Amino acid sequence: MTLQFARQTAIAGIGATEFSKDSGRTPMQLATEACLAACADAGLDPSLVDGMVTYSSEKNPEIEVARNLGITKLTHFSQTPHGGGAACGVVAQAAMAVYSGAADYVLCYRAFNERSWHRFGQGVQGQHQTPEAFDVSFSWTSPFGLFTPAQWVAMFATRYMHEYGATSEDFGRVAVTDRAHAANNPAAFFYERPITLDEHQESRWIVEPLHLLDCCQESDGGVAILVTSAERAADLAQPAAVLAGAAQGVAEDQHMMRSYYREVITGLPEMGVCAAQLWEASGLGPGDIQTATIYDHFTPLVLPQLEEFGFCDTGDARHFIADGNIDLGGRLPINTNGGQLGEAYIHGMNGIAEAVRQVRGTSVNQVPDVENVLVTAGTGVPTSALILSQPA
Amino acid sequence: MSDTTEDEFLADLQATVGASGTPQVARDPVNEATIRDWCDAMGEANPLFTDWEAAQAGPHGGLVAPPAMLNVWTMAGLHLGRRPTRDPRDPNAGAYGKLDAAGFTSVVATNSEQVYHRYLRPGDLLTGTQKLVDVSPEKKTGLGIGHFVTTETEYHDQHGEHVGSLFFRILKFRPGTGRGKPPDPRREKLLEMRLDADAILDTGPRPQRPRPKFNQDQAWFWEGLRKNELRIQRFTDTGRLVHPPANANPATGAMDYDWVVASGRATLYSYAVPHHPEVPSFDYPLVVGLVELEEGVRLVTNIVGCAPDQLEIGMPLQLGFVDTHDDVTLHQFHPAAPPRTEHARSFDDVAEGDALPLTAIPLDPLLIVSTALATRDFQDVHHDRDAAVKKGSKDIFMNILTTSGICNRWIGDWAGDAAVFKNLKIQLGAPNYPYDLMSLTGSVTGTRVEDDEGIVELGFVGKNKLGAHVTGTAELALPRKGA
Repeated sequence: MTLQFARQTAIAGIGATEFSKDSGRTPMQLATEACLAACADAGLDPSLVDGMVTYSSEKNPEIEVARNLGITKLTHFSQTPHGGGAACGVVAQAAMAVYSGAADYVLCYRAFNERSWHRFGQGVQGQHQTPEAFDVSFSWTSPFGLFTPAQWVAMFATRYMHEYGATSEDFGRVAVTDRAHAANNPAAFFYERPITLDEHQESRWIVEPLHLLDCCQESDGGVAILVTSAERAADLAQPAAVLAGAAQGVAEDQHMMRSYYREVITGLPEMGVCAAQLWEASGLGPGDIQTATIYDHFTPLVLPQLEEFGFCDTGDARHFIADGNIDLGGRLPINTNGGQLGEAYIHGMNGIAEAVRQVRGTSVNQVPDVENVLVTAGTGVPTSALILSQPA
Repeated sequence: MSDTTEDEFLADLQATVGASGTPQVARDPVNEATIRDWCDAMGEANPLFTDWEAAQAGPHGGLVAPPAMLNVWTMAGLHLGRRPTRDPRDPNAGAYGKLDAAGFTSVVATNSEQVYHRYLRPGDLLTGTQKLVDVSPEKKTGLGIGHFVTTETEYHDQHGEHVGSLFFRILKFRPGTGRGKPPDPRREKLLEMRLDADAILDTGPRPQRPRPKFNQDQAWFWEGLRKNELRIQRFTDTGRLVHPPANANPATGAMDYDWVVASGRATLYSYAVPHHPEVPSFDYPLVVGLVELEEGVRLVTNIVGCAPDQLEIGMPLQLGFVDTHDDVTLHQFHPAAPPRTEHARSFDDVAEGDALPLTAIPLDPLLIVSTALATRDFQDVHHDRDAAVKKGSKDIFMNILTTSGICNRWIGDWAGDAAVFKNLKIQLGAPNYPYDLMSLTGSVTGTRVEDDEGIVELGFVGKNKLGAHVTGTAELALPRKGA
């Protein structure tokens, strides 16, 4: 099994709205703006878009977006489940559609008022009230008071700390790095607002062992990504960000952010499934990656991602981070847009856009000599990842 | 009452302070049956109290009564239908009568300080002589407005040997004059912020927890909990246990399954302590645990009877149940009882600062009622919820002799069967109501050698959901090495 579309497709356009706590307009409006911006970035007439892929949790139907964009026909449309785990999955689906000939120009998008309308951080208590399997799955946790994403992550974090000797400060260093990067990014929530490790330690508990500053800020905004063939991308306005690979992953005994029943719960084997596919399809390895967007809705799960992709040994991520490897100038600067902790939480889509900018050489925190950029998607959930490379 | 009449009333109450009452002879001698009932109710397993053979070889050379039973023997008894009137010359009874007449009709014990000169043996017939030590001025307490009455009772056996003494304090209070609900920290925080706490917090009845949803694939699990059984799915072809339940054996695809009932023994595998968002249907601090059952599967549950800073991964846990809706029961776990120290913990192995193991006592109604009766305390507030509610309590609550008994048992479990208590002094705070847990923690506060005996001094506290139920101290002699 290998990803035959590797290096055959590319991201040709990126578009985004501003990121805010209150957009003042509807998610539908945000989706439309982001999609138009992605087409404009690529220099593509939006009516030529013939494919759309979004998250199953997206509330703006592709037919409404297509209508707004003056799209006359869609020959591929699909959805990818499991929230932020879909981030790179939608790109993988788009790339497969393009490679297979199902569509030529596929828009991937995610837009919401996840701050001013519905906040994920408030939890799922009171939701999931049918006897269908997905709803029933919450019965093993919600009645006991474990019903927010931060709480689900905390259970993994406590065990990780116990097994590897990681501390809250080790998690905090991820937030400090992200916020340092966001401080240089005018589009970020936390532009010019870096934090110290002390501020992280002093921030209030959300759910022990997670402080407030271990958690991303819920955001309003929209991001869209235009995927096409590497060949067509070369004829568009921007340098292509070639997809060296894009993969999805589910591992044994997978649950939605609550895979607590595996023999070991300190890793992210579903991310390992993605890593194995990407390294094989791209012919690359950890040493070939210059910068990465590592999904950071909560800091603790950044650590096992670095381990699953082989940037460091299992259990050693805390040393890898403490040694400055993830900072600008380090071995693997991560989340150069500020990540979801610093720029905005758009379910991972803004991190893909940042990876495209790193390939183009246009990031506010540009890493020198970028050849390949890794992007990962939501952790704990069925997930996905991709690698973007310079065009041939 | 005006100040003058209040002063006069107090002077009248205090008139008999210092006087001793009529000696009360126990109805029955110290006896094995009563000891056994007490041990059964308290969960006391020290064989020196119940096992003739083991006791012969023990430090007392025969069966003895648990020391905390000191004031059980002279309790008045039930006397249904022919309750004896107390001797009005008894200073204590006299003060009680005056307080009752003035409307201070409710009573709650607050302090018990037992001193033991020797352990009691079956056949000992006790006489208690009670002295009125103090009646306090009127006090405003959480329970109500009232007076503290302090007595001291000396106990002698049939040969006149002084075997022990009891310093005892009760509060006689007017029902309905208390603070009512304990202060709610959320409410106080809102008031501090000058917000309308009533409008924010009192939004009708307390919301229920998220209700578990299930279909016929898991109904058996939730039906089991209703019967206080924690069921684990077992695929019958290979015996594989699976949680959360699946539709087919992941190894074979076979779909036939039944279940095993979990033993209830588990260890803590991981945990989370949610702070935000705070949801009114839960009690905070809230601990969500991921526990590993001894059968090998894990499940998410609540850890109760244990403060967040007392959690340790790997700690042994014991299963319990809580009814959260009219038709829903959930599992929860509390710290498992630590293993008993059999025989003797040596004085030489104990040092100041040593911790006594955290123990959580589930406060089942059966415990509260059976221990009240086993301590021969027939006050209705300890066994009759209607009567307790009428007297201003939210439910029945544990009596003070039981708190002493449970502390006796818990300390003894740590100290070993051969430990000899010298005294046990407790002060009560928040009542122990049913369906809660009391978590006991303590430590060695000092050690000394006195008259060739190795004496260990302990300090301890037992907390329930409302706060500290008991704070106390104890001294006991432990065997010395080579002595």
